[in-house]
Amino acid sequence: MTPIAVYVHTPFCPSKCGYCDFNSYAMTGSIVDETVAAMIKEIQNSPWRGRPAKTIFFGGGTPTFLTSDQLLSILDAVVEAHPPIEDCEITSEANPGTVDATKFGAMRAGGFNRISLGAQSFVPEELTRLGRIHGPSEIGRAVHAARDAGFDNVNIDLMFALPGQSMRVWEQNLDAALALKTDHLSLYCLTIEPNTRYYKLHLKGMLDLPDDDQQVEMYEMACSKTAEAGLDHYEISNFSKPNMQSRHNLCYWRCEEYIGYGPGAVGRVGATRTTNLKHPNLYVSAVNAGEKLWCEREALDDEALRLERVMLGIRLSEGLDRTGLDAQAISALTKRGWLNVSSDRLHLTPEGKHFCSEVALALA
Amino acid sequence: MDQSHIRNFCIIAHIDHGKSTLADRIIEKCGAIRGTAQEQMLDSMDIERERGITIKMAAVRLDYRAKNGQEYQLNLIDTPGHVDFTYEVSRALAACEGALLIVDASQGVEAQTIANAGMAMNQNLEIVPVINKIDLPHADVERAKEEIEHAIVIPAHDAVLASAKAGIGIEDILEAVCMRMPSPTGNHAAPLRALIYDSHFDSYQGAVAYIRVVDGSVRPGDKIKMMSSGATFVVDEVGVFKPQLVRTEELQTGEVGFITAAMKAIGDAKVGDTVTLAENAAKEPLPGYRDVKPMVYCGLYPTDGDAYEDLRDAIEKLKLNDASLTFTPETSAALGFGFRCGFLGLLHMEIARERLEREFGLDLILTAPSVDFLVHATNGSIEHISNPSEFPSPNEISMIEEPTVSATIMTPQEYVGAVMTLCQERRGVYLRSEYPSPNRVMLYYTLPLAEILLDFFDKLKSSTRGYASFDYELGDYQGSDLVKLDILLNGDIVDALSFIVHRSFAYQRGKGVVEQLRKVVPRQQYEVRIQAAIGSKIISADSIKPFRKNVIAKCYGGDVTRKRKLLEKQKAGKKRMKQIGSVELPQEAFLSVLKVME
Repeated sequence: MTPIAVYVHTPFCPSKCGYCDFNSYAMTGSIVDETVAAMIKEIQNSPWRGRPAKTIFFGGGTPTFLTSDQLLSILDAVVEAHPPIEDCEITSEANPGTVDATKFGAMRAGGFNRISLGAQSFVPEELTRLGRIHGPSEIGRAVHAARDAGFDNVNIDLMFALPGQSMRVWEQNLDAALALKTDHLSLYCLTIEPNTRYYKLHLKGMLDLPDDDQQVEMYEMACSKTAEAGLDHYEISNFSKPNMQSRHNLCYWRCEEYIGYGPGAVGRVGATRTTNLKHPNLYVSAVNAGEKLWCEREALDDEALRLERVMLGIRLSEGLDRTGLDAQAISALTKRGWLNVSSDRLHLTPEGKHFCSEVALALA
Repeated sequence: MDQSHIRNFCIIAHIDHGKSTLADRIIEKCGAIRGTAQEQMLDSMDIERERGITIKMAAVRLDYRAKNGQEYQLNLIDTPGHVDFTYEVSRALAACEGALLIVDASQGVEAQTIANAGMAMNQNLEIVPVINKIDLPHADVERAKEEIEHAIVIPAHDAVLASAKAGIGIEDILEAVCMRMPSPTGNHAAPLRALIYDSHFDSYQGAVAYIRVVDGSVRPGDKIKMMSSGATFVVDEVGVFKPQLVRTEELQTGEVGFITAAMKAIGDAKVGDTVTLAENAAKEPLPGYRDVKPMVYCGLYPTDGDAYEDLRDAIEKLKLNDASLTFTPETSAALGFGFRCGFLGLLHMEIARERLEREFGLDLILTAPSVDFLVHATNGSIEHISNPSEFPSPNEISMIEEPTVSATIMTPQEYVGAVMTLCQERRGVYLRSEYPSPNRVMLYYTLPLAEILLDFFDKLKSSTRGYASFDYELGDYQGSDLVKLDILLNGDIVDALSFIVHRSFAYQRGKGVVEQLRKVVPRQQYEVRIQAAIGSKIISADSIKPFRKNVIAKCYGGDVTRKRKLLEKQKAGKKRMKQIGSVELPQEAFLSVLKVME
């Protein structure tokens, strides 16, 4: 059977951040144990049981909000249901405020081999404003703890274009992140999503957000600083040392299949994308009652799949296979300076990276 | 039914005086609708219910046993109140012998009360005044009666007192209809003559003609002839409105109902035409309707250029049900092929657009509305022009005349100053005043039509705390100092955005349109320069900076569907845009000139 990417969603967080629209809940008590037990049950009863795991990724929420025992009991269930292929990348996201050497040690020993740290910023005021529970010094400490525990593949997430952020502060952030010499960096432009606290503030005009021009400038600074540091800009928002790309995320961008376990987890197998029940309470009772777990199910038609293939594939520096795409649109985009064509693949130019969605729209 | 027991009547009133509610009560009282009664029963269109207004007249046949123990057949025609739909009212009146004139006891006689009553009197209808909403705390029945007698000049001592909402006086109204209104006078033995007062198009049955039988009778199988065209058809069905269409065996002299006869061509059932029998035809047609003159024109274009033929078909069908709509083909450099359509006002324009989009699934662009001008060229020719882009260059024009209206404004005394100021601002010329009751004033003005079309009514309401009412009819043309204002995008004139304006307002309006466009035109890949110009003189300019990025920051397994939908939405948004040169304009951009004056 073909190996497949496996995503595990742990929905709990110490607190809900102002910008976050993920399926996450600041809940404690018995529901956490019940959710872990239900996730294990879901995995054990999975219809995809037996398909080898190409990659495994624990995201959230904050996976490290769970104890290492809880995390590993879930991972054990995954590994049992989906025997990992050789060299399988097994990632856990981690919040610098919820980890220490002991926890990382246990996680490494239990099978995790990649850590993705949600650093977001190295500036205390920015972290407070974002609603993060950690301080700047904990980020470096967490990176070193991960290294000491034997993780030789560590990522840091940072956000830019934060409210009130200047070029100078962004540069400080970048320098601080690069100084930690992690294997991978994800640099995200802050997006104001509906149903967040930031969205409401933004509507009231209370977020002093950097404008388009400044965002472009910040992004370009990130591109050149990471390049100087020897990182490969392999996806719109992702940078890595050679051969250290996130293999799990590459599966998404290459439009490959993936399974999702846990509350609110999304999976796509074949042309069907399903989303699990989102609230832990609903999820737990459905698992225990043996009822259907999904709350949304989408049959992707050819047109939707094609748009997804283009929208995701064009994000990668390895480029998008041009087969079946409109030659006229390609030549217009090339003329516009947004697209390079090399043999049968299409690549965004540095200018084109700012217009990734425009390009996808024109091509699909 | 014995002709002497038929009563055809309509309800006329100023807008919001309670017509539709009263119609509901009358229908309930006669038991025409059983079970789940709903509000606005005769307003069958979604748009009517959503907006709470009547756009179309609608008929219903009712059976009523009067206090004298006799059965009457009542045909009630509900009519719109808004001034834009006056033509509907006038056609409804021609199918009736009597009219209930509703006056709100707390508001008194208003401008459209007078206008509609005037139309009813011209048709020699028996008018029964009804003073409605007598249960309201501010009701003043005596004042309402006094105003009816002074302003409309009909006796009001025997006005029926009612509250449609509270169900008071409904029976008195029905008794008045039976006892005070005359029965239809036609000759049952004469050859068929039926007036088509309305119609609609049914995709299965063809045109459905709504008729008032004046002489003779008609039944299925009869071979009928349209007296204007001579076209003949065999009647499929006849029936009445209950208020939905219900088949009957025959329509007799004096009755109101519908006929279908496989009339497939749009022009087969022309409103105002007389239906007679092919054999034993009537000699003289009935007096038809005067052709209505549009007040305002605009260009109507499909967003998708390929939908031109669909648009033509849709407009032709809508015209069957909206007899006051006029249209002729036109072309625009910016928008391609479309139609110049004439409307009775902006509400009418808005409703027509909405009906075309909803009922025919079209996606439309409307150009800036304009009145019809008389343009005198230096070579001596005189032309009617309603499309600003067809105006000759200024040096070829010796004079422009614009249409005016005779306006009647009814207001409480204390707001006279405010009303006069407003009229002056709108280039109005004061004619005279009248006093229908102490403390109420009727002001007569001549105003340029172009100045009242847009926001005049709203301004009037806001400067009189809602108390003033307003009616108008088209007057004559008068010379005026008008200029054509062009809008340029990236240096090119967009003909669909040009408009005609009085020179004294040109600067202000030009600046306003540029500002409005800046608001509604989304940022594009390239800079967009917006300019307003009179001839070659730029009077206002601004620009929209190009967007610098359009990129999704994060896109992982859980985001894909939502992000894809975001792109699909952007794509659909682009489809609704009109590409003008290098600039993509959203539909609302074309109505910027409207927004500016609001």
